[in-house]
Amino acid sequence: MTQLVQAIILGLLIGGVYALLASGLTLIFGVMDVINVAQGALLILAAFLAWTLWQEAGIDPLIGVLITTPAMFVLGFVMYKLTVQWLSGMPASMSVLLTFALALVIEGAMGLAWSTTYHAATPDYFDESYRLGQFYFPKAQVYGCGVAVGVLALLYVMLDHTWLGRAIRALSENAQSARLVGVNVRGVAALTFAVGVATTGAGGSIISVLYPFLPGSHYQWISRLLGIIVLGGMGSLPGAVVGALALGVAETMTVTYISPRWATAVPYVVIMVVLLARPQGIMGAKLREDVVV
Amino acid sequence: MSVAQSSARRFSPARLGGVIAAKPFGPVIAAAFVFLVLYPVVTDNLYYQNMIILSTLLAIMGSSWNIISGFTGYVSLGQSVFLGIGAYTTALFSLRVFDGASPFWFIPISAVVAGIFAAVVGSVLMRTRGHSFVILTIAFLFVMQIVTLNWSALTNGNHGLTLPLPMWDIAYQDWPFYYSLLGLLVLTVALAWWIRRTKFGMGLIAIREDENKAASVGVSTPVYKVLSFTASAVFIGAAGGIYAYYLTFIDPRGMFDIVVSVMIVLAVLLGGRGTLWGPVLGAFILEPLNEVTNNEIGGGNWRLVIFGSLLALVVLLLPRGIIPSVADLWARLRRRTDAAALVGARFEPPAPVRLPAADPAPPPSGRALLTVEGTEKRFGGLRALDGCSLTVEEGTITALIGPNGSGKTTLFNVVDGTMSADRGEVLFEGERIDKLPPWTRAHRGIGRTFQITRLFREMTVLENVVAPLRSFSWRRLGADAVSGPEAERAHELLAFVGMDRFADMQAKSLSFGQQKLVELAQILMLDPKLIMLDEPAGGINPTLIEHMAEMIRELNRQGKTFLIVEHNMPLVLSLCNPVLVLAAGTCICEGTPDEVQGDRAVLDAYLGEDYLAGQAAGA
Amino acid sequence: MRRIVWLLALLPVLAALVVAGCGGGGETSSGTGGGGTGTASGEPMKIGASLPLTGDFSEPGVAAQQGYQIWQQQVNDSGGLLGRPVKITIKDDQSDQNAVVTDYNALIQQEKVDLLLGTFSSLLNLPASAVAERNQMLYVEPAGGSPEMFSRGFKYLFFAQQATAEHQADLFSQWAAGLPADQKPKTAAYVAADDPFGGPVADGIKSQLEAAGVQTVYSKVYPPETTNFDAIASAVASKKPDVIAQGSAGLADGVGLDRALIKVGYSPKQLFQASTPSFADQFSKAIGLENTEGIFYAVSYHVDAPTPGNEEFLAAYKAKYNTDPPEDAADAYAAAQVLQAAVEAVGSIDDQEALANWLRDNSVDTILGTLSWDDTGAPEQAFLLAQWQNGDEEIVLPDDAKTSDTIVNPKPPWK
Repeated sequence: MTQLVQAIILGLLIGGVYALLASGLTLIFGVMDVINVAQGALLILAAFLAWTLWQEAGIDPLIGVLITTPAMFVLGFVMYKLTVQWLSGMPASMSVLLTFALALVIEGAMGLAWSTTYHAATPDYFDESYRLGQFYFPKAQVYGCGVAVGVLALLYVMLDHTWLGRAIRALSENAQSARLVGVNVRGVAALTFAVGVATTGAGGSIISVLYPFLPGSHYQWISRLLGIIVLGGMGSLPGAVVGALALGVAETMTVTYISPRWATAVPYVVIMVVLLARPQGIMGAKLREDVVV
Repeated sequence: MSVAQSSARRFSPARLGGVIAAKPFGPVIAAAFVFLVLYPVVTDNLYYQNMIILSTLLAIMGSSWNIISGFTGYVSLGQSVFLGIGAYTTALFSLRVFDGASPFWFIPISAVVAGIFAAVVGSVLMRTRGHSFVILTIAFLFVMQIVTLNWSALTNGNHGLTLPLPMWDIAYQDWPFYYSLLGLLVLTVALAWWIRRTKFGMGLIAIREDENKAASVGVSTPVYKVLSFTASAVFIGAAGGIYAYYLTFIDPRGMFDIVVSVMIVLAVLLGGRGTLWGPVLGAFILEPLNEVTNNEIGGGNWRLVIFGSLLALVVLLLPRGIIPSVADLWARLRRRTDAAALVGARFEPPAPVRLPAADPAPPPSGRALLTVEGTEKRFGGLRALDGCSLTVEEGTITALIGPNGSGKTTLFNVVDGTMSADRGEVLFEGERIDKLPPWTRAHRGIGRTFQITRLFREMTVLENVVAPLRSFSWRRLGADAVSGPEAERAHELLAFVGMDRFADMQAKSLSFGQQKLVELAQILMLDPKLIMLDEPAGGINPTLIEHMAEMIRELNRQGKTFLIVEHNMPLVLSLCNPVLVLAAGTCICEGTPDEVQGDRAVLDAYLGEDYLAGQAAGA
Repeated sequence: MRRIVWLLALLPVLAALVVAGCGGGGETSSGTGGGGTGTASGEPMKIGASLPLTGDFSEPGVAAQQGYQIWQQQVNDSGGLLGRPVKITIKDDQSDQNAVVTDYNALIQQEKVDLLLGTFSSLLNLPASAVAERNQMLYVEPAGGSPEMFSRGFKYLFFAQQATAEHQADLFSQWAAGLPADQKPKTAAYVAADDPFGGPVADGIKSQLEAAGVQTVYSKVYPPETTNFDAIASAVASKKPDVIAQGSAGLADGVGLDRALIKVGYSPKQLFQASTPSFADQFSKAIGLENTEGIFYAVSYHVDAPTPGNEEFLAAYKAKYNTDPPEDAADAYAAAQVLQAAVEAVGSIDDQEALANWLRDNSVDTILGTLSWDDTGAPEQAFLLAQWQNGDEEIVLPDDAKTSDTIVNPKPPWK
């Protein structure tokens, strides 16, 4: 029983971090129908940046969030203007191809800049845990989860209570109408993409503390993120949170009760089952069938 | 000859049969082939042989991918899964079942196994479209990798499998691999060529252009899609078997590798998606580039940067690929001044031609051809159809009118199968059809045009008219895309609607009115009993409207029943009888044009209570 | 007109074929070249190897490259091989199987090397050795102990370490099984990376300990790229095993498991990790020097080992790289030593089969000790058992190689 509860605790803690990571991906999809496969690579890039800050300047990565997030925001904006912007009008599969290509470029660039070996930021608390009775809560996970919740809360506030947030929501409902009511669609799209990528800034800093990473790690992360947003409903932020917690727990359960070998299959199985049985996920909206997609 | 027309010529299915000999590619391709065949005989340079072997392998995979993604439009980012399936099948048969027999014996089995996987998995995966499909193919690839890794009892898991060493004299080097792969490439390209010029291929292209439209004109899309996916897997499976033997050692990560899938896509996009030789060209550019980056620049990281950048550039700047772009350039260079393109010609409708009847028209029997009973359809909170019941009598030209938002197009969608109703029944010729898919309804004799015309834009007008299928038969899949009798009939239909001069033009270059006429010809090809027209007079000039009315009357004389949604009242009143009125999702009135004009409920629905009250007060 | 076009197309084809037939296009090798200015003279003897200089195995790959280079330098400084200077060409296979096959094909066919040396890891050596076997060339590999390597009936393959994977931890298993009843472990947990090396190492320990009556309470395999060991550590800790044994070839997963165990707060009585603790500074920095106390591992090489040639190797390595040589560099050097011994004994390089036969029938003294092989090319010796003590890496078994007289047992709790 203890083991079960402990496994759930670990699953939820990591799920909280996953939720932050997935929020950016689902936001981008919801607004511009682009699946940003490069999100995993951007995450790792942010992790490398956080690691470098820690290594060279001694800045704790969780504080470093304040630096990496704006940095990734700028990068996201530039990426959008240079490449993703030109995708409008092309079929959906092209966006997957383009972002995949960007992911490869980023992976290669990271390898050249930092070498293809494992890196991890190791501030003092990363080996320690909080204890509550017979259960333990690894400190790094708790802090990471805390930062994740904070950033998600900020994101929620932004979407619900600022003009930009309203514009983003309008755009995700109907681009044409948004244009008609005066939303600068191009500009808002660029900002949305930038915001989505900015979340990887925070997320990357957190994972730099949690687990070792190397440039090739992005595949694992993007498959998890895809599984999460498919499960929660592509385009739904609450769905991303629910999906993230569910996936975190599912992974931990699989490792504990089945085998670590099958844990890597969990996101893919989720993707296949959900897309085939209930494509809109837990919370996504269903499209009108006669609309020509 | 204009660019549009020459492009249409080059890429139309009928003409692609000639691409092998078409200038300027034909001689180049033949020369390259001769070179490849003779190369190992003339030299013993294993390094370049190896490079050619890997290029040929990529070309096989690219050509196969082209079938599902180029022709059918379903982009797969997991196609290398079949390489792994083929490799493991051959390895397992050679090692476990037949204890060290030459793997070459099992290549055909690899092909079959890959095909079976494709058919089974494809029938499930292809229920989705767009990005969902792409993601699912990636998921399938990784799931197979993980299963292969974990099922060690069968596959030896991460230890991998070691195949027997080659059993021939070392003097022959890698010839068996080289020539078997080259032969397989020839077969693959031949398959792609054959598909392209058959009805099957035309159906695939229709699916790519507009899947729902293809379904509504009688193409049984699930069967086509699964066949296409299977065709795109078998040769990759066979190549996988050869590749496994060539490597001598296979392991799950190497055999189920996403980067290989990305290379396949890049090769085909680079060379030209949807063309015959594009994948081969792309592969023979990409693989040597791969080798060169490995050896000269060295380092996996540069390889990633280079290939990633190349893919991004191709997607953004050269999405059509090399061959179509070069072909365009060539056509531009060779353009001769010619008669001005027909597109701008003033449209002169010829006198309506009597359509030669397929069967003698039976006298109108008065029975109900189409019956809709108690149909309901909701979109969230909106009730588009709310207990709608109506009947269309055989042999009539029935109008369906109603204010905007009354549910007319939704009703059409429910009848032709584009949507399914939440409740209610649809009967055609007395039989229920509401559970049938759109293509079966088309086969039964329902044809329908769309408010905004939907033609297959990349096909020519003639091909568009030939694409609809009156029935499905396995034999006919292999028939020529545009055969003699069909082409004749298509020309007749086009002549009937007055579009025969445009037969070789690409559909996308037509004007709106011209497209409407072609769409009509299209569904006439189905020889339908019930023709549903969604606003046929919308957006076209009065002369053409008259012409259309004449055609409708002519067809009606031949026994075709019409159900027309229209807002153009003069047309409705002069052409149609009876008239059905739809309002708020239900049929509120039915009768002759005069009866309907005076009906209070109808006036109420169109004009509103206030107006009527005002009228009553003012009168 | 058409005929002319066809002819014009075919002419270049013929020309290309002629050129290809005559030439054979030599590609200048991108490898690192020559060494010293010794008394070796004459046409250089070309040795070809591929190594994972980038990718998953880049750390050991680069170390192996250093080992080969030190050897080349020393050989050339002392007269060369059979009087001829030695030139090693090293290609980068990026830890990729496809690339390694291409590389060895290129080395054999294009650059026409006289001799081959192996690459790093079983995963890469499995296909590479097949290329060598097909071309009937001697293949001495510095690292690749998977039993899979030696079950294929190859005649030209030799492994230049002391034992294959399933025997790597023999000394540990024997020691643990032989402890007096009050100290002997009762339960054990096995955690193995899913790769050709990790699994067999853990299985080897498991079979020996189970035979000695140690109960297995946990035995799972994880994907090698796993970085999150929290759930695994939690599950292992809940079973409270006396021994935890991990089979892995890398650094990150070993460190990951240790950190996770620290987080859980569980310290077993004996902890054995196949390779990770051999990474010296990288390991001790990663988990904290005070946490290394008492961790066992098996190793093929030790800097203080009194083996023939070790002092010279150590000196040369330190002079060039300013630090102690890692195990992988030493393994590579030893592989080159084996090759050298065979060539010098047979006296020529023309008959590769003779070289292979000589190795099968004889033993070679290397910096790892004396190596000899069975018919399959698998070595017949035993690995050294090492342990971290007081912040240093010490050899504790076998007795004739040990650098410390004590064995820390049980392992102290985590700090």
